Amino acid sequence: MISSAPPSARIVRIRNTTDEELTLGLAGAGLSFSLDEARKVAKILGRDPTVVEAHIFNTMWSEHCSYKSSRTVLGEHLPTEASNVVLGPGEDAGIVRLCEIDGVSYCVAIAHESHNHPSQIVPNEGAATGIGGIVRDVYCMGADVVGVMDPLRFGDPEGPNAERTREIVHGVVEGIWQYGDALGVPNLGGDVYFDRSFDDNCLVNVVALGLVREDAIVRSRVPAEARDASYDLVLVGKPTDPSGFGGATFASRILDEEKALSDKYAVQVPDPFLKRMLTVATQEVLALVRERGAAIGFKDLGAGGIACATSEVGAAAGLGVRIDLSKVPVAERDMAPEVIACSETQERYCLVVPTGLTADVLRIFNEDFELPELCHGARAEVIGEVIPEPRFVLLHEGAVVCDASTEEITTGICYARPAAERARNADAPAVPADVDVTAAILAVAGSPNVASREHVYRHYDGEVKGNTVVRPGEADAGVIAPIPGEVAGVAVSADGNPFLGAIDPYTAGAAAVAESVRNVAAVGAVPIALTDCLNFGNPEEPEVFHDFVEAVRGIGDAARGIGQRDSDEPIPVVSGNVSFYNQSSAGSAILPSPIVCCVGYLADVTKHLTMGFEEPGNAIYLLGRRTGALGGSEFARGPLGATGGQPPAVDFEAERAMMSCVTVLAEARLAAACHDISDGGLAIAALEMMLTAAPDRSIGAWVDVSTLGGAERSVLEPNDQGRPVAASVAARLLLCEDGGYLLEVAPRDEGDVVALLGMKDVWFRRLGETTDDPSLTIRSVEGGDVTIARDDLARAWNGGATRVML
Amino acid sequence: MTRPYPRIAVIRFPGMNCEEETRRAVAAAGLACDVFMWNGPTDELALYDGYVLPGGFSYQDRVRAGAIAAKDRVVDCLFEEAAAGKPVIGICNGAQILLEAGLVPGFEPGRVEMGLATNIMPDRDGYYTRWTHLEVVDTGSSATCSFGRGDVVPIPVAHAEGRFVTSTEGLLDRLEENGQVVLRYVGPDGASDPGFPSNPNGSSRAIAGIRNVEGNVVAMMPHPERAAWLFQVPERLAGPWGASRRSARGERTLLEPGPGAAVMRSLRTFAERRSEEA
Repeated sequence: MISSAPPSARIVRIRNTTDEELTLGLAGAGLSFSLDEARKVAKILGRDPTVVEAHIFNTMWSEHCSYKSSRTVLGEHLPTEASNVVLGPGEDAGIVRLCEIDGVSYCVAIAHESHNHPSQIVPNEGAATGIGGIVRDVYCMGADVVGVMDPLRFGDPEGPNAERTREIVHGVVEGIWQYGDALGVPNLGGDVYFDRSFDDNCLVNVVALGLVREDAIVRSRVPAEARDASYDLVLVGKPTDPSGFGGATFASRILDEEKALSDKYAVQVPDPFLKRMLTVATQEVLALVRERGAAIGFKDLGAGGIACATSEVGAAAGLGVRIDLSKVPVAERDMAPEVIACSETQERYCLVVPTGLTADVLRIFNEDFELPELCHGARAEVIGEVIPEPRFVLLHEGAVVCDASTEEITTGICYARPAAERARNADAPAVPADVDVTAAILAVAGSPNVASREHVYRHYDGEVKGNTVVRPGEADAGVIAPIPGEVAGVAVSADGNPFLGAIDPYTAGAAAVAESVRNVAAVGAVPIALTDCLNFGNPEEPEVFHDFVEAVRGIGDAARGIGQRDSDEPIPVVSGNVSFYNQSSAGSAILPSPIVCCVGYLADVTKHLTMGFEEPGNAIYLLGRRTGALGGSEFARGPLGATGGQPPAVDFEAERAMMSCVTVLAEARLAAACHDISDGGLAIAALEMMLTAAPDRSIGAWVDVSTLGGAERSVLEPNDQGRPVAASVAARLLLCEDGGYLLEVAPRDEGDVVALLGMKDVWFRRLGETTDDPSLTIRSVEGGDVTIARDDLARAWNGGATRVML
Repeated sequence: MTRPYPRIAVIRFPGMNCEEETRRAVAAAGLACDVFMWNGPTDELALYDGYVLPGGFSYQDRVRAGAIAAKDRVVDCLFEEAAAGKPVIGICNGAQILLEAGLVPGFEPGRVEMGLATNIMPDRDGYYTRWTHLEVVDTGSSATCSFGRGDVVPIPVAHAEGRFVTSTEGLLDRLEENGQVVLRYVGPDGASDPGFPSNPNGSSRAIAGIRNVEGNVVAMMPHPERAAWLFQVPERLAGPWGASRRSARGERTLLEPGPGAAVMRSLRTFAERRSEEA
């Protein structure tokens, strides 16, 4: 049936227009979709859309909301199912089972997003609303947010845009602490990289982790009960204002700093205070819902605002909704209906509640928690109802401004983008024969990309909620015990080395999975789920799209190839986000940046590991071959000034065996400390273990590079053990970034550790020992042992990042 | 006849965010404890045996941290109950409220005599989180009566405005003479160290917590509820608590009380002592 547009509404003329007329018409209406897309809207509706309908399609068909370039690729490559998955990608957060205690199944809800463009334009607000948005995704599953993380990528703080870059660094970090600390969610980690490709387009990714009982999960949809009973739509939170109108489309085009001022209005305004009050009040509402045994729907308002959220909750149930936009509490008078419908004002939720419960829900928000008294204009209000016929109807001042089937409104759009491999620089970095090993190690340790992140994480509250067991800086992953009184633990880490992306996006995707898995395993946690945030340039450019496809393929292969420890199942990718158009108008795209977060489970959190050395006189074991491949490494890019070559390939079987071994060793309490080897290689891993020991312990270490032979493709032979190694070879082996672990093992446990490593077929060496001499000594180097004093290491590593953030 | 546990109210002002873990830590010390809403009935609030104002960002730190909450009507009730000798402990934002309300140091109750100003730190600004070492200077308060004088106790801080300051001449001397400085930041070995980071915010005379003259009202910046269990202590912390933490790994003892639990035990002791006297 072809319906006619509501008679009283303004329409956007699409049919019977020339391309020139349509271009002008779309621009005049502030619509950013293509001519083809506009004509497709008219075709789907069988008529010209109203202005409100056009804006809804414009938002829903933005790259940000529709995944129109990425959906097919994600579906093809990423494993999203496993027996522990309760809810895979599709709703606001993914959910996996964690453990069962006294018959109650506890789950982890996790969401992962980017807030890149807003943070480049207004760093503080952009980063803050990034946290604000991601926590809503987890809260609206009925979960309590128990941790957040922020992977950050900034421009070159010592390059041509140093001043602006440092402003952005300061603003982003400030936005994160001002929002996250006030909201009261512990910050459990993240990472930071600097590179000139991020000068015009920083990356601010955010991860939120929630805890929810399986029987208390709330879905983002109208409940089935609404077929037979009357249901209201309740909007709660900040009064709707024009902020964030067009936010999703802003995120879906190339960032133009020239237009930055006008884009400012596409950035929402953060209010962590209101969010905190909404959070505690919502917990009371959810408790009441459970007590009454009611079924509700609960959805956060993000991209596309009221229109997207309410049409989606209806469409998911095959039902319709009718909303009166005049009932929406607004912050300004005379807002146009399309602005009320599509603005992305922060701190709002939509609840779908049985009519009998509505009065109680309104009372909790408006009276018990006094929202209208605490924040000007904030309140809960009934704005509409569920209707049996599957139509999406919006009224404004008595007139129908949108009337379409929910199926039409939520129709997807999909593109098959062309991909083309870009030319790579294959020249392998060469290490000069006269390399100064000490200088090389200190230079890598003091690089802003490798050095201690203490300057950043001391801004973040890592301990609010009182559940934190391991804080940022103490180990490779943050660890919490989120169920008070129980020993069940959760570990999280987010990783993604952009310099691998520059050279080999497949390896970058695979290595991001491998590193996040190692980080979680290194604290003794068994990996149970992954999320990804895929940050790339303009997907309409074939080389960028090829980078994207390769990175996704790498993530998928690693998730399956490493897999879950005690089964043949993959580590499922349960949620994620694609962020394209991370590119300046000048044309330079960011380094391909797949960022992966891994969640791990500790059955007994008391058995977690940290990375600081514990005792002098213990053995240091290396797990994982050193191939000596330097492509993308900090050593190559920094001291050697070489950008080409190949990074070490990710060996899924080896990663699986090491992960399995390390977590079993932790459970059996056979390791004193453990640290993953990644950026900066084993030399940096060793010095970090030294520098994170308790400050009143004076612990050093020696390592013997001649033990590193025997690896496939290695520069050393196994029978080289004990024979001095050329300085250039030593530097290569110490600073190459093959994945692996360093383990500190007490002498009494060495027999058991070696037996287990052998049984699991892990490549390992007894690399050295901890000492009571506060220095790092490298033995078996031609010309004599290399010894670096702890103070020198500390000065380089502690100050390297702080230096560029002041 | 067994005496009932003292009942403690943890007061939730809008924007606070530490009420739940504070309630758990208070309850773990053997006290009955409820979270009490800022807009709850004050006649019910008056029935409690003691009060804790937890951390967070009450009223979004509008004007100044703690300034708006200090004008709330529940604070009038706290004045009355404090005058009756009941224990009142303010932690972090709670401490800011008690100072803004003029409940501490309380030479002239209701008058703001001290403030908690913006942290002063070398090479950084804003919020700062760190485990600090505190010397228990005075054991006559509701937050410290279970400690020994001179004990060194590690407890973390997390704030942007925690620097005890006053413009009143002689006030700091008077506080010290009266024993009203209850906690002071020191080095990990317990030695006096007024410098950063031992003194994490540039606080005058490295003050971390003060009390009123009577000792029942205490304002402290460190968060004892984040040090209430041993598992919360960082493994890399210097000193005996760090060593205990490391040696407890893999053991159930990791779930036993941590260094901050003695603050809650002090609250219990103080409340019980008072009800015995009454």
